[in-house]
Amino acid sequence: MAEIYVIVGAGAAGVAAAERIRMIKKDAMILMLSVDTYSHSRCMLHKFLGGERDENGISFTADDFFEKNEIYWGKGQTVKGLEPANHRIVLENGYQPYDKLLIATGAVFGIPPIPGFRTASNVYGFRDLQDAQKIDAAIKAKDAKQVFVVGSGLVGLDVTTALLERGIKVTVAEMADRIMPLQTDATAAAAYQELFEAHGADFRLGIGASDSVVSEQNEITAVVLSNGESVPCDFVVCAAGVRPNIAWLEGSGLAVERGITVDEYLKTSAPDVYAAGDVTGLSGIWPNAMDQGRIAAMNMCGMPLAYEDRYCLKNTSNFYGLTMLTIGDINKIEDGAQVITKEDRRCYKKAILKNGVLQAILIQGDISGTGHWQYLIKNQIDLTELLKKKDIFSLSYMDFYQLDETGEYQYA
Amino acid sequence: MKRIMIDASKCDGCKNCELACMDSHRKDGKEGVITLDFTNPETVARNGIYNDGNGGYLPHFCRHCSKPACAESCMSGALVKDPETGHVKYDENRCGSCFMCVMNCPYGIPKVDAARVKIIKCDFCNDRPEGPACVAACPKKAIWVEEV
Repeated sequence: MAEIYVIVGAGAAGVAAAERIRMIKKDAMILMLSVDTYSHSRCMLHKFLGGERDENGISFTADDFFEKNEIYWGKGQTVKGLEPANHRIVLENGYQPYDKLLIATGAVFGIPPIPGFRTASNVYGFRDLQDAQKIDAAIKAKDAKQVFVVGSGLVGLDVTTALLERGIKVTVAEMADRIMPLQTDATAAAAYQELFEAHGADFRLGIGASDSVVSEQNEITAVVLSNGESVPCDFVVCAAGVRPNIAWLEGSGLAVERGITVDEYLKTSAPDVYAAGDVTGLSGIWPNAMDQGRIAAMNMCGMPLAYEDRYCLKNTSNFYGLTMLTIGDINKIEDGAQVITKEDRRCYKKAILKNGVLQAILIQGDISGTGHWQYLIKNQIDLTELLKKKDIFSLSYMDFYQLDETGEYQYA
Repeated sequence: MKRIMIDASKCDGCKNCELACMDSHRKDGKEGVITLDFTNPETVARNGIYNDGNGGYLPHFCRHCSKPACAESCMSGALVKDPETGHVKYDENRCGSCFMCVMNCPYGIPKVDAARVKIIKCDFCNDRPEGPACVAACPKKAIWVEEV
């Protein structure tokens, strides 16, 4: 009988794993179960909410992906629990046995403990297509004119662009003193803030929401800020962080910390059970989730491969045509570190260098040809000799150019 | 798969490969490098020749890697390694303009277009029978196609 590979979750990690399992095991039965009814890219939810694309337009798989790879996809399936001793998962009305199981259930958005926020009926997240659909329905039902967004990270700004696109007035509250605080410094944040404000966004920086005004219909009609200001709104969107989606594993005996605990082979504490993506809490970014999915798949198929390339302090952003790349913690300036900046009308660059080793870099403007920065920072390459000859921002892959015998590039 | 192989020592920096690439990807219906419009921001080469600082040149061409970091980080499914040809293909209609491929390609291959909505990357001239335009244009045989 064919081996049964079950994957819970249809996000980046789950889909990447399914594809890899099929490449290795031509005869295996691959079953994917997900609450999601579309295999959508979470990085494109704003394109759906903004009206640029429909549900199918934010898919990240080829149209015939599931048929071609013979992956059976149980859409809209809520998995209720895991019984490792019986090698089966618990569904709403029955069980599904597995020979190998991958848990790739991602993360869920958190709602900050602000009075009214966790109980009101008009507080949304922006993590899954379902969240975007709920917001879309709320906009239509109320003919929404004003929305309050908590958090100005990439998700908060994504949802803000979509709401602005639909002609809604958006107020964004951010606890830090600048927008996108994990990826920006003051200069880069100001450039983005100016663009958002030009498109109608209103920011409250260095300020938190502290209370809310809740109507008899149990809806938040205004958010009260820590400075006493009351901001009226038709509904609230929380973009203040996510946590691994592990509540359904309670009672399974699976070892968890913040996320599911995995070893270097992405194996959990239970035999034949693996985990990948946001549910592990190892990183919250798309490329790493895909990597984890593929690596977990290899291990599930009996081809041991450790998850080693764990670097996750990396991001790109693109709002209103202004692109930015940030690698490392651009706001961490250790003793003895050197801060180098370069700015012109089109581009702002900032590098943190310590003992000839690059710690972090930010490039806002043209980000073509910037792939080497991740390599140099991740691998802590000593640049001392090179920097005697040229300035740091003129470094490129060309300074490390080398070909291997198959004609692939590598680093000299 | 077919790959454009490189012998950097043979390159004399003429940049005919860049012009041929621009010419082969132009959308104005014209043909021949002499009619290329360099004021058009869409006139961009997918390859490049760089000075190595010691009198030599470094040809910079997409490798269509065995493990393509660009496609492996693509969140929209726009970049896919074709299982048959081995070439990494780009579908600009799917692209979500997040530019994680730009961040993840350690060799700096994908370029952001002037409008910041898509990337510009080698498509192996869509596997046309006569081979990629850059290879045909190289007078020094510094680049050639080989099965690897």
